[in-house]
Amino acid sequence: MFKIKNATGGYGKTTIIRDVSIHVNAAEIVALLGRNGVGKSTLMRYATGLIKATSGSVEIAGETAPPSPAKRARLGLGYVPQGRFVFPRMSVTENIAVAAASNGFEAKKTVAAILEDFPLLQPKANDLAGGLSGGQQQVLALARALATRPKILLLDEPTEGVQPSIIDEMAGVLKRINEEHKIAILVAEQNLDFCLSISERAYVMEKGTISIETDRDSLRADKELQQELLGV
Amino acid sequence: MELDFLATVLLSSLSSASILLIATLGLAVVYGLMGVINLAHGEFIMVGAYSALTATQIGLPFLLAIPFAVVTTMIIGAVVELLIIRKLYGRLFDTMLATWGLGMVFNQVAILLFGTVSPGIGMPQWSFKVGDYSLAVYPILMIFVAAVMLAFIYLLMTHTVYGMKARASIQQPQMAQAIGIDSSRVNTMTFAIGSGLAGLAGAILLPIIPATPSMGLFFAVKGFLTVVVAGPVTLTGSALAALGLGGGASVTASFMTSVVGDVFFFLVTAILLWLYPMGISAKWRRKL
Repeated sequence: MFKIKNATGGYGKTTIIRDVSIHVNAAEIVALLGRNGVGKSTLMRYATGLIKATSGSVEIAGETAPPSPAKRARLGLGYVPQGRFVFPRMSVTENIAVAAASNGFEAKKTVAAILEDFPLLQPKANDLAGGLSGGQQQVLALARALATRPKILLLDEPTEGVQPSIIDEMAGVLKRINEEHKIAILVAEQNLDFCLSISERAYVMEKGTISIETDRDSLRADKELQQELLGV
Repeated sequence: MELDFLATVLLSSLSSASILLIATLGLAVVYGLMGVINLAHGEFIMVGAYSALTATQIGLPFLLAIPFAVVTTMIIGAVVELLIIRKLYGRLFDTMLATWGLGMVFNQVAILLFGTVSPGIGMPQWSFKVGDYSLAVYPILMIFVAAVMLAFIYLLMTHTVYGMKARASIQQPQMAQAIGIDSSRVNTMTFAIGSGLAGLAGAILLPIIPATPSMGLFFAVKGFLTVVVAGPVTLTGSALAALGLGGGASVTASFMTSVVGDVFFFLVTAILLWLYPMGISAKWRRKL
């Protein structure tokens, strides 16, 4: 359903990811694991089109993705970046509404439906996004991505700097949207527990390439790999 | 000092501030929503003024000449964005150089087409009295025009899909694209609106400031400083900066000389930029 084929790219002349190929099946949750600086975020940005590809291609819902990030979004690629990047001087409602409207969905209905799904955001609906706490911004970034009605959702370090209670809630929400709306999810994480709780399959990255492809059970059993991922 | 004198000074200073604001809003929109400093902004005002002047000369009533000038400048603005600005996204200084050059071209074309002197269209001669002093109605009317323009831009940017897209695009350019906003189309629209606002300024101020090829320079300097003092919360910031700088300079000029008024303007600008290098609104939590 979603494929990255032979991706090579980076920033300027610095190549960060080399010949990376991964795929996510329809309605599957896949984890992208690896320590800091191995190229997880770069791979995500490669998939969105925010960094230019040196070579390789991306396939979204069976179609080869055009270079423009906006067109990829409309093909069904949702992206929650590391560091959230909500629109700070727009209200929570506007953050969601603009995402819906940009993909041809009716803003008011989408906002109402999404606020229903994220009760945490309801009391903040008219507040500026820049004034929310880190955890609330993370939930808003997720809500914004969902407003584009993605077929595949890319999540980059969604638990970073978020309090444990919200992390649990987020895991619940992700499982639910995955089951209810059949949205496939690729999540880059360092939080192993979070990944084991939601994903069935995982890729492990090392120095800009995929070193291992594994599933939940073998990852649970492989203490050595766990140690390495946790950086102990 | 008499009360009627004070009221007159207050009204005419408010009017001066409003004129500055009218001339600045287009620049503020383009800078605030695209991050582009359009040094040809003054020349867009000039194009608006000549468009309105030409329209009245071929017999259009002044009230229709204004929308004519707006449409003309919007079209020119859209073309300029597509041909020049688009190639220079994210290159602030290159855009400044390119628009500066563009301003010179506009200026020379105006000289070729209209010569260096041109007739004014005459201000409507209505006036009213405050005590012993008589004030012309038209400049005072500009306070109202500035307020309507502010309200219009605010509504456009907060209550339309285009407005939300434009604000998202300047606040987080990459995320705006990643959620499906076609930033370059939004930018063409924004630049056209900014140019249209400049055209509106040139046309509506025509009875007060006659069209000349070099009129742009006068607006460019003060307008540019107003926008820079305003900072990221463009609209509220520009309104306050225009009121403080333009109004303050005008009050100073009434009590002393116009030179002292200008000195006030530039001195206060320098002090504000020293205190708030990112503009007075850098830390405000407001939409626009």
